[in-house]
Amino acid sequence: MKALIKKFGKINSSVLLLCIVFLVFELIGHRHGETSIEDFTFFPAFFGFLSCIVIFKIGVSLRSFLMKDEDYYDK
Amino acid sequence: MISNFPPGFIMIIGALLIPFLPHIIRQIYMMILILISAYSLTLGFGIHSIINLMGFDFILFQSDSLTLPFAIIFHIAAALNVIYGAHEKQWKQHVSIMSYSGAAIAAVHAGDLFTLFIWWEATAFTSVFLILAGNTYRSYRSAFRYILIQVTSGMFLLAGAIILLINDGSALLTKFDINSLYGQLIFIAFGIKAAFPLLNGWLQDSYPEASEIGTVALSTFTTKLAIFCFAKCFAGTELLIVIGAIMTFYPIFFAVIENDLRRVLTYSLNNQLGFMIVAIGIGTELAINGAVAHAFAHILYKGLLFMGMGAVLFRVGTCKASELGGLFKYMPITAVCTIIGAISISAFPLFSGFVAKSLIMSALGKEGLVLVYFMLLFASAGVLHHSGIKIPFFAFFAHESGIKTKEAPLNMIVAMIIASALCILIGIFPSTFYQILPYEINYQPYDFSHVVGQLQLLTFAAFAFICLWHFKIYPPELNSTVLNSDWVYRKMIPGVLIPLLKLVERMNQKFEELMIILFSRTKILLSNTMLKNKVFDREVGSDTLIVIQIFTVFLILIFIGQFFL
Repeated sequence: MKALIKKFGKINSSVLLLCIVFLVFELIGHRHGETSIEDFTFFPAFFGFLSCIVIFKIGVSLRSFLMKDEDYYDK
Repeated sequence: MISNFPPGFIMIIGALLIPFLPHIIRQIYMMILILISAYSLTLGFGIHSIINLMGFDFILFQSDSLTLPFAIIFHIAAALNVIYGAHEKQWKQHVSIMSYSGAAIAAVHAGDLFTLFIWWEATAFTSVFLILAGNTYRSYRSAFRYILIQVTSGMFLLAGAIILLINDGSALLTKFDINSLYGQLIFIAFGIKAAFPLLNGWLQDSYPEASEIGTVALSTFTTKLAIFCFAKCFAGTELLIVIGAIMTFYPIFFAVIENDLRRVLTYSLNNQLGFMIVAIGIGTELAINGAVAHAFAHILYKGLLFMGMGAVLFRVGTCKASELGGLFKYMPITAVCTIIGAISISAFPLFSGFVAKSLIMSALGKEGLVLVYFMLLFASAGVLHHSGIKIPFFAFFAHESGIKTKEAPLNMIVAMIIASALCILIGIFPSTFYQILPYEINYQPYDFSHVVGQLQLLTFAAFAFICLWHFKIYPPELNSTVLNSDWVYRKMIPGVLIPLLKLVERMNQKFEELMIILFSRTKILLSNTMLKNKVFDREVGSDTLIVIQIFTVFLILIFIGQFFL
């Protein structure tokens, strides 16, 4: 644990710990979603993680297309 | 007498006195105006004030279960704006905020389209001064574009109102048919103010250019007035589900790459409006409750986030992520309040966003709109990314920017603490909050599935961000301009029109030169043929001239005859 905190930082390790705790919660109780797809075990966790990566990836790829100089409109 | 005044009206009239009052007295006076305006809300539902002008009944004050929650939150937001802006000694922005808030509140209580039109335009003309208060060349130009677009929206509304009046003989503010011409015109008018996709450029263009106080006020009224109007006139219009889903989806990517944190918040605002528009499109009682609850909660947490960034701008002079960082030790209260706003907008359990957004997600689930449901779920992760993490992280943590500053002024802190407290109270006592919604509701947001599902979604999305940052995959923020739909009228149209106008001007010049050459050559030719010993010279016999004239007339007659015979 100490090694993890040293390598990953206090806050980051706490978030990781919370992630694990919320996964354990699901194993204790019965979680069901608004749609049947959500009923898969740990679905929200996968969905949240992947969504964030996809958003980041698309956002970064849009940089070359949408990002211009700061004074672009002033030229 | 005062109780029959439309709520908000007293704030507009009262704003005229603000310039004559000294600084602190002015703030107390504005609070009294808001309280008097709010007193009108105690009258109950029904039509309370009508005036007849030129044979037309203007319904100035009508209230029902939909107007009440909007009126309550607009008054709360107006009061928070007064507190937040109390450090500002100049009267101009206070007049603007008071009349702008008043106009928005009055608009919510309008019973007919013409009364709505008056307040609709009033919100535009009163709020533009808040953008001008940014006091930069950019803000002046942005204010000009803002007012043009807002007035255009008003023109669509007026056109729709006139057509409806001609068709039906009345222009009551009620549910409209999207398939009619007037319905479409009114829909576009509302859509412009609600910052629909491709009509949203004005929002990201103008709000971040306003003053630190101005942006907080702007984020509250204009777009939420449009949401109210959609809920009133187009509830259950399926097209809104599609538009809303797109609205929740695409601003996320823009927000991720945007460097100006107040502009990031405007993209986030756009995304949140999408949730409300989807809910209005569904149109069920649960969904309309969700839209109203979301608008109510959103005004508080978005206002809080703008307050936090406004405080940073006020102290540091910039809101660019590339220039900020490490401000937590200098502005801890501002940072904590901003984090509460960020947690609320991300919809963590026990915060306002969760109890509001759950209604919309449940309404989607109940209607079986699976694709839209997952689009909104995806957007929820996006909200966490750009508003929940990016805003507080880049402003108060991230890297050490070297900026040394002090905490926000006391009045700003008080406003932020009140807004934070409201975000938490709504989250803790949802059933009390649900009582002000338009329809009776028996809904429990805090069940095991909702809470665990949401916590997993958010913590793992946050963990993904942490991984990207920790392993240095997340690229540094750069000073830049991110292209948006306003590019069409700021670059593309001028880019096409200006060369086209230059071409026309050049062609005109060439044509003039050609005509001058042609004219002089004709003159020379005529003088050479007609004068000096030629046919028209006086020296030539008159008989010859008469023969030539008759021959010419004969030729002309033959030529004309070709066309008519």
